[in-house]
Amino acid sequence: MSNQSSSTIFRPTRRQTLGMAIAGAAGLAMPNLAGAGRAHAATPPSAPKGQVIVGFSQEPTIFNPHLVHIEVDEGIHFSVFDPLFGVDPEGNFFPALAKEVPTVENGGISADGLEWRVKLRDDVKWHDGKPFTAEDVKFTLELLVDPKFMSWRRAGHELIQELTVVSPTEISWKMKEPYAPYPSILAATFIVPKHILGAAEDKNTAPFNNAPIGTGPFKWVERTAGDHIELAANTDYFGDGPYLERLIYKYIPDLTVLYTQFKTGDIDVIGLQWITPDHYEEAKALGGTSVAVVPAATVESLSFNMERPQFKELAVRQALYYALDKQTIIDALYYGLPTPTETYMPQQSFYYNPDLPKQEYDLDKAKKLLDDAGWVPGSDGIRVKDGVRLSFKNSTTAGNHIREQAQQFIQQSYRDIGVEVEISNLPPAVMWGDYWVKSQFDSVVVGINFLTGSDPNTSDYLSSKSSPAKGGAGQNTFQYASPEVDKLLESGGVEFEPEKRKQAYLKIQEIVRNDLPFLPMFQYATVRGHKSGVEGIVPNINVRIDSWDVATWYWS
Amino acid sequence: MSQSELLVSTRSTQPWWRSRTVRRFARHRLAMFGLVTIIILVLACIFGPFLLPFDDLYIDLRGRFSPPFTGYHFFGTDPLGRDIAARLLMAGRVSLLVGFAAMLLSTVFGTVLGIVAGFFGGRIGTVLMRFVDAMLSFPNIFLLLAMAAFIKPSPIMITLIIAATSWMEIARIVEAEVRSLRERDFVVAARMLGLSNSHIMFRELLPNAIGPIIVAATLTVARAILLEAYVSFLGYGIQPPLPSWGNMLNGAQQYLDSAPWLAIVPGAAITLAVTSFNFIGDGLRDALDARSDML
Amino acid sequence: MFRYLLGRFWQSLVLLLLVSVIGFAVLNLAPGGPLSQFTLTPGMTQADLDRIATQMGLNRPLPVQYLDWLGHLLRGDWGRSFRDGRPVLDIIWEHLLATLLLMGVSTAIAIFVGTCIGVLGALKRYSIFDYAATVGAMVALSIPTFWFGLIAIYIFSLRLRWLPAGNMYTIGHGSLGDYAIHLIMPSIVLALVNIAVWSRYMRTATLDVINQDFVRTARAKGLRPRRVLIRHILGNALLPMITLLGLQLPTILGGALVTETVFTWPGMGRLFLDSLGYSDYPVVMGLLMMSAVLVLVGNLAADLTVAFVDPRIRLS
Repeated sequence: MSNQSSSTIFRPTRRQTLGMAIAGAAGLAMPNLAGAGRAHAATPPSAPKGQVIVGFSQEPTIFNPHLVHIEVDEGIHFSVFDPLFGVDPEGNFFPALAKEVPTVENGGISADGLEWRVKLRDDVKWHDGKPFTAEDVKFTLELLVDPKFMSWRRAGHELIQELTVVSPTEISWKMKEPYAPYPSILAATFIVPKHILGAAEDKNTAPFNNAPIGTGPFKWVERTAGDHIELAANTDYFGDGPYLERLIYKYIPDLTVLYTQFKTGDIDVIGLQWITPDHYEEAKALGGTSVAVVPAATVESLSFNMERPQFKELAVRQALYYALDKQTIIDALYYGLPTPTETYMPQQSFYYNPDLPKQEYDLDKAKKLLDDAGWVPGSDGIRVKDGVRLSFKNSTTAGNHIREQAQQFIQQSYRDIGVEVEISNLPPAVMWGDYWVKSQFDSVVVGINFLTGSDPNTSDYLSSKSSPAKGGAGQNTFQYASPEVDKLLESGGVEFEPEKRKQAYLKIQEIVRNDLPFLPMFQYATVRGHKSGVEGIVPNINVRIDSWDVATWYWS
Repeated sequence: MSQSELLVSTRSTQPWWRSRTVRRFARHRLAMFGLVTIIILVLACIFGPFLLPFDDLYIDLRGRFSPPFTGYHFFGTDPLGRDIAARLLMAGRVSLLVGFAAMLLSTVFGTVLGIVAGFFGGRIGTVLMRFVDAMLSFPNIFLLLAMAAFIKPSPIMITLIIAATSWMEIARIVEAEVRSLRERDFVVAARMLGLSNSHIMFRELLPNAIGPIIVAATLTVARAILLEAYVSFLGYGIQPPLPSWGNMLNGAQQYLDSAPWLAIVPGAAITLAVTSFNFIGDGLRDALDARSDML
Repeated sequence: MFRYLLGRFWQSLVLLLLVSVIGFAVLNLAPGGPLSQFTLTPGMTQADLDRIATQMGLNRPLPVQYLDWLGHLLRGDWGRSFRDGRPVLDIIWEHLLATLLLMGVSTAIAIFVGTCIGVLGALKRYSIFDYAATVGAMVALSIPTFWFGLIAIYIFSLRLRWLPAGNMYTIGHGSLGDYAIHLIMPSIVLALVNIAVWSRYMRTATLDVINQDFVRTARAKGLRPRRVLIRHILGNALLPMITLLGLQLPTILGGALVTETVFTWPGMGRLFLDSLGYSDYPVVMGLLMMSAVLVLVGNLAADLTVAFVDPRIRLS
C-alpha cells in the first residue's frame, strides 16, 4: 500500500534519511557545551591519557543493549559497543561498523526500499581480539526477533527476511515492506558478538550481560554494584579515539549530592538528570567548569482523558488553556530554563511548526468561555453543566517535586475560574501501568518524547487506532480521535519527500493545537556541566544519553 | 466503641483505682509536660488555622522562600510561597488524626486478637501468635513501604496501613497478660458460673488487662506519628497539597542549604508531639505500674 | 536441646512461609508492574511490553507464579532481578556488606555509649545526670531518624563543612580513614535510638543487680566497689541485653533503610527503595526474606545465648 513513493526516504541527503532531522537552525538552539567542540584549539593526545568520572543519578545495570533497559544504561552501551552507523547532533548518519551509511545512491538500499546491502569494515576487532564480521551483524538482527530472547523492541527488525551473509564484510536482507524509520532504529542498534553471546544457552541471563564485550572505544573492566562502573581505553579502536585511559561512571542516587560532587570536583562530568534548575545560577558562577542549558526532546503537557465528560467540550479545554499560567510556572518553578511551546514536536526538529497561535494567560477569557458554553458555578463555586461538575483528578508520578509544585499552582489557578482539581499522585510503577495505558486517569501532567525513534511519525500517540482503552496498541491514552489527523498521519507515513512530508506534520500540529487533547506547556531544558579541561563533549538531541561521543572526549 | 464501654465498666467496678492512678500520674512531671504540650498542640491545630491570616494552601510564587521571623510569615514560606505556620497547623491536624486513628484501629485489633489467642491458647493461640511473629519479622518500615507503594495514598489508606503494621505488639502484650490471668480464680469462677466465652474475655479479662493496653496505646500514637512521617518523607505517604508533618519534610533535603527552615520547623513539631506522647506513656506506665516491657 | 532446636526450626520455616505469602501477595496484587516504567520509552510499543511480560511469566496466575518462585527458592535459586537479570542473592550480598558495616559500627557505638550512660545513671540514681539521661533517651526515641540526619548534615556538612554529606567513600580515595569519615554521621544517627534503648535497659538491669543479695554480700565482704561493679553488675546485666540485641534487629534494619536514604549509603535499605520503585519483585522478595531470616536468627541466637550463659533458664 505504501510502495509507490517509498523510495525517496532512502536517498542520501541527510534530511531525507533522517527521522527527526535537526535543521541548520538547531546549531543555534543548541550551544556547544565545550564552547567550540571539535574545532577547539586544544587537540587530542596521541595516546589515551587520564581518567574521566561521569556522574549519573540512576544506576546503569543492563549492559546487553537489546534487553529492556532505561536511558542511563545506554551510556555504557555507547562506550562499549558500536552500531552499524550512528546519528550526530545535526541528524546526519555517520558510518561506524559499516563502511558507509547505506543509501539508495550508493546502492546500499534498493529504490523501492526493500533490499538492503551493508558493507562492513574489515579492520574491527572485538575486545577479546576476535575479528568482527558480518556473522555478528546477522546474529544481532536475528537475536532481536528470537522468540526466546526478551528483546526490548522489535519494530522494524520484524520486517527483515532473507538475511544473508554475502561475505565477512557484507550482509544483505529484504524488508517485508518499506519502513521509513528503520535507519533511525538501526542507528540505535548496537552489534553484539556472536562468538560470545551466541554460545550462551540462555541469552537472557548470559554472563555476557554482566561483563559485556564489544567493539567500542572502551573495554569493560568492572562494576561495583550500587556505586560505579569502570571502563578502560580500547587501544585497538577502529575509529577516532579513545583519548582517555579510564572512564568511570559513578552512580550518585541523589541529585543534590550529584551536584555537590560536581561542585567539589569529585566528578568531572555531570551526567543524566544533570544539574537541577535551582542550581543553575550558582553552577554558572563556579570556576573551572563549563555549564550550559541544553534543550531535550521531551515536551511537558497537561494531558486530558478525552472520554471524560468534563473534557468532551472544546470550550472547556480552551478555557483551561487560557487559565494555565505557563510563564509563571517556567519562570518561578523552573528558573526560566525551559522554552514554552505550542506543540508536541521539539523545536529543533525539521518538522516543527513555528506558526502556531501563542497561548495567552487570561482568566477573564477563560471564565467567559465557560460562561458562554453554559458551565455555571454551583453553590460551592464549582461550575456545572448538565449534571457534570467541572472537577477532575490530576495525576503525576509521586516524588517529582517541581512538577508537584506546578500541579498545586495549576490547581489554585483553576479554582479561580470555578474548576476543581483533585491531586492524586501515584508511584511510577502504578502510574504508568494500567492507570495510564488503559486511560483510567482524568488528567495528568506528563513529559513525553512523542517521537518514535527519531522519526516525526507520531501515530503511536495521536492516531485514533492507538488507544489501548479502545482496543488499540499504542500510546494514545488521551483517547484523542480526529479523522483528519488520522488521514494526515497515514499520508505522512507514506509520503517520503521531506518537504511534502513536512506539510502533513505541520498541519497535524495545527489541528492538535486547535483540538487541545493536551495543553502543551514547555519543552524540557537540561543544565549540563563538565570541568573546563574536558574537551569534545557535544550534546546530541537525537540520542538519549550524554556519553554518545565519549570516544572523542579528552583532557586539554 | 466496645472499648469505651469497658472503660466505663472498669471505672465503676474499681473506683479507687482511678483516683490513685491519676494522683500518681499528676506527680509525674514529664508526663504532665507531655499532656500539656499535646493539649496545646491539639488546640492550636484545631483553632490556630482560623486565627492565622493565611491559608495553608494559598500559593504566592512571588513570596517563595521567605525566611522565618521576617515579615508577615512567622515560620517563613515554602517553595510555593505558602505560609509555613498555617501549613504546620493544618499538617498537625492530619498527622495527629492519622496517629490517633491508627492507634485506635491497631489497639482494637491487637487487643481482640491478643485476648482470643491468650484465652483459647492451644492450637488457635499458637497459630494466631505465629501470625503475629510473622508480621513482626518484617521490619516495619519495609512492610509499610511495600504496601504504600502500591496503594493510592490517602490519609485513610495511610492510617489503615500504619494500623496494619503496628497492632502486633499490643497483641503480644495482651496475649501474655491474658495467658497469665486465664487460670486465676475469678476466671475459673466465671467459667463455673457458665458465663459465655465472650463474656469472660471481654467483661472479665479485658478490664484486668486494661493498664498495659492503655500504655501501649499511648506509645502507639507516638509511633504512628513517626511512621506517617517516615512514609511521607520518602514520598509514599500523604500527598500534597494536603500537608502533613511528614510530607512537609519531603523535598526539604533539596533546600537544606538555601532554606533550612523547611526541614527544621516540621521536624521539630514531630519531635515535640512524639516526645510528649512518649512522656505520657511513660507516666501512665509508672502510674499504672504496668508490667509491660519498654520498647 | 536438640528437640528444642528442631522445634524452633520448624516454627521458623512456617513463619518464613507466611512472610513469603504475605509479601508476595502485597507486591503482586497491587496495580502496575515491573514493566510499567518502560511505558513512555520512545520506540517501545505496547506490543513489546505485552510480549516481554509473557516471556517473563508475569501473565501467569498468581499462585502459579508464587509456587514457581518458592520452588526455585527451595532449590537455592533466589531468582533474578527484573532490572538487570543478575541473581538476587548476588545483588543482596553486595549491598548487605554496606549495611552490615553501618549496622555493626552503629551498634558498637550504641552498646558502648548506652552501657556507660545506663550504668552511670543507675549508680547515681536520681541525680541530675540520671534525670537528664532519662529525658534525653525519651527525646532520642522520639526524633525521626531522617530528620536528625538532615539536621546533622545541615550543621556538620553544609555549615561547618567538617564531614561529607553522604556516600560510603570518596571515589578514588577508598582508604580506611576515608571510610571512617563517611561512617561518622550515619552511624551516630542510626545509633541514637539504640543508645536510648540500651541505656534504659542497662539502667534497669544494673538497678536489678545492685539490689540483689550477692552484690550486697560482695560489698559487705569488703570487695572494692569497682570490682563489684565490673564482675557482678556488668556480668549479670549484660545477659538480658544480649536478648535485646537479637530482638532489636528489625528495628535496626528499618532504621538503616531511612538512614541510608538520607546519607545515600549503598546498602540494603537503598536497594529496597530502588527495587520497590522499579517493582523489581524478586529483589524485594529476596530482601524481605533475608530480613525475616535475620530477625529469626537474631531471636534464636538471643534465646540460645541466654540459655547457654545462664543454666537457670531452661529452654522448653
